[in-house]
Amino acid sequence: MLEQASASEDGATDKRLHLVPDEVVEVGRMEAVRRYDILDTPPDGAFDRVAGLAARLFDVPVATVTIVDEDRIWFKAAHGLDGVSEIGRDPGLCGSAVLRDDALVIPDTLLDDVACGNPLVTGPLGVRFYAAAPITTTDGHKLGTVNVLDTKPRSISSEQTATLTDLAAIVMDEMELRLSALRTVRQEQRAAEAERAAREQAERDKAAIASFASTLQRTLLPPALPAVPGLELACHYHTASVHDVGGDFYDVFPLPAGKWGLFLGDVCGKGAEAATITSLARYTLRASAQHTDDPVAVLEALNSALLADVWAGSRFCTAFFATLTPDAAGGFTVELATGGHPPAYHLTPAPPETGSATHTRVEAVHPKGGMLIGAFPGARFASTTLHLAPGQALLLYTDGLTEAHTSTGTMLGDEGLTAFLAARPASCGATQLIEDTVGLLHALPEGASDDVALLALSVPTPDQAAAATGAGSTAHTAAAPAGEEH
Amino acid sequence: MTDDIELTLTATHGPAAVGKVTGEIDLHTAPGLRTRALELIDQGHHYLILDLSGVGYCDSAGLSALIGIWHGAQDAGGSLALAAIPDRLMRMLTLTGVDNLLPHYPSTADALSAHQGAPDAV
Repeated sequence: MLEQASASEDGATDKRLHLVPDEVVEVGRMEAVRRYDILDTPPDGAFDRVAGLAARLFDVPVATVTIVDEDRIWFKAAHGLDGVSEIGRDPGLCGSAVLRDDALVIPDTLLDDVACGNPLVTGPLGVRFYAAAPITTTDGHKLGTVNVLDTKPRSISSEQTATLTDLAAIVMDEMELRLSALRTVRQEQRAAEAERAAREQAERDKAAIASFASTLQRTLLPPALPAVPGLELACHYHTASVHDVGGDFYDVFPLPAGKWGLFLGDVCGKGAEAATITSLARYTLRASAQHTDDPVAVLEALNSALLADVWAGSRFCTAFFATLTPDAAGGFTVELATGGHPPAYHLTPAPPETGSATHTRVEAVHPKGGMLIGAFPGARFASTTLHLAPGQALLLYTDGLTEAHTSTGTMLGDEGLTAFLAARPASCGATQLIEDTVGLLHALPEGASDDVALLALSVPTPDQAAAATGAGSTAHTAAAPAGEEH
Repeated sequence: MTDDIELTLTATHGPAAVGKVTGEIDLHTAPGLRTRALELIDQGHHYLILDLSGVGYCDSAGLSALIGIWHGAQDAGGSLALAAIPDRLMRMLTLTGVDNLLPHYPSTADALSAHQGAPDAV
């Protein structure tokens, strides 16, 4: 600009002013240059061939393809200019050519007011002839030029000028092709990036949901069974999928006058809906048990609560509810009510003469007539009373245990479970009973395909109690937290 | 495993109707069975008898559907009876005490004659 200003004092004012870049046009032009992302890219056969072709067609020593940057002229291809990659953006030659719509032809640079001051003219190269066609985008921005230079003055025909313009158009076409390829690659990169981000997000969400379900599950289960003096308690809980909140539930909790309440149940269904019923069932059973000694009345209260809920008649469960009362003989009186739940098993060590295969007498505890809870208004529930003596055990479970498939493809069933219980010693206590039953499930080819809850209670004999702790409390609690099995 | 459950009307006697259920009743098919049976009740077949001889598998979702249909029939002032129940389904109904509430018969003929002998039969 300084050079331009000083040159203007020499005269020929009109022509030189015309060559000063318009600020708005220049901003748009530079945006276009950046859009094609070509500056400082490595040499490239296609552009080198255009420069070489131009030199041959015009029979000149030097031909170049240039891109005009803000403050420099960069050579994308330079035929006959070894080792030169860019020059300053001085006016007169390329710097002026990109300000015009048509080709710039300077037959003799020394006779041109502006070009005569250009370093290419005044310097060692001594350019005397210069002709350039602008590389023009479809929206009219001039990115640079295709130009030919000679060290002696010459003139060219209008056909040759048109040829130079065609070469510039070829360069433009090539750049358009590259830009569209570049865009495709960038789009693919962006799509791949977006896909990767989405996948990562999905994995994070999945982990968050699993963690939420697991947390929710824990809130629906007792964190640990309480220590009940004179009773060994053990439980196991397994959900078929970590994504599903299971519908099985159980709890053991203290009641007034030294009694204990106990329940185990199974909500028909899975997921969040089942979980709300599980939650409602747990709190209703615990609360009702504080107001009545009758286990049947507790189940009736749950039936009413489920029918009063918004899902009236469409969400229901099966459950056992029992009260445990310690008796003078060291055992417990168990009053047990059922609402449509599979039988519980009362286990007694079998006398030695019964035979070697049977170690345990197994009695199904299934009061007749207990109905599904929450399905029918006025549903009836049945109860029974049993005595749990020292050495005996009681096993409660959900149907995920009896519906697990054996290696023959049939379900374990009541028969399979009964046979299993009869063949093992009953006197080992609740913890061992749960461990053995979990072992039975794991030994099945598919394990448990549904949720499984197991709750066992046993009354240690005085000998066992003494051996276990020496003295004092004999309560044991073994709880397997949710969802750890798979 | 079939995706569809079919409930076909095989006989009607006034407001009493016999529908034959064919297929497996599980989590996927149970809602369809329930919808179809409730439609029949809506159409005036208030005393619905379901012939379950063609039911292969039925899980707790199926039980849920039967209970839903029972509620629908009750609301319409009618009833639901089950006939020709496969053994496994019968065990489930017994275990859950649902057999106490839903009348069940060896055959659809037994169910129909029981209904026609009932004092409220039309």
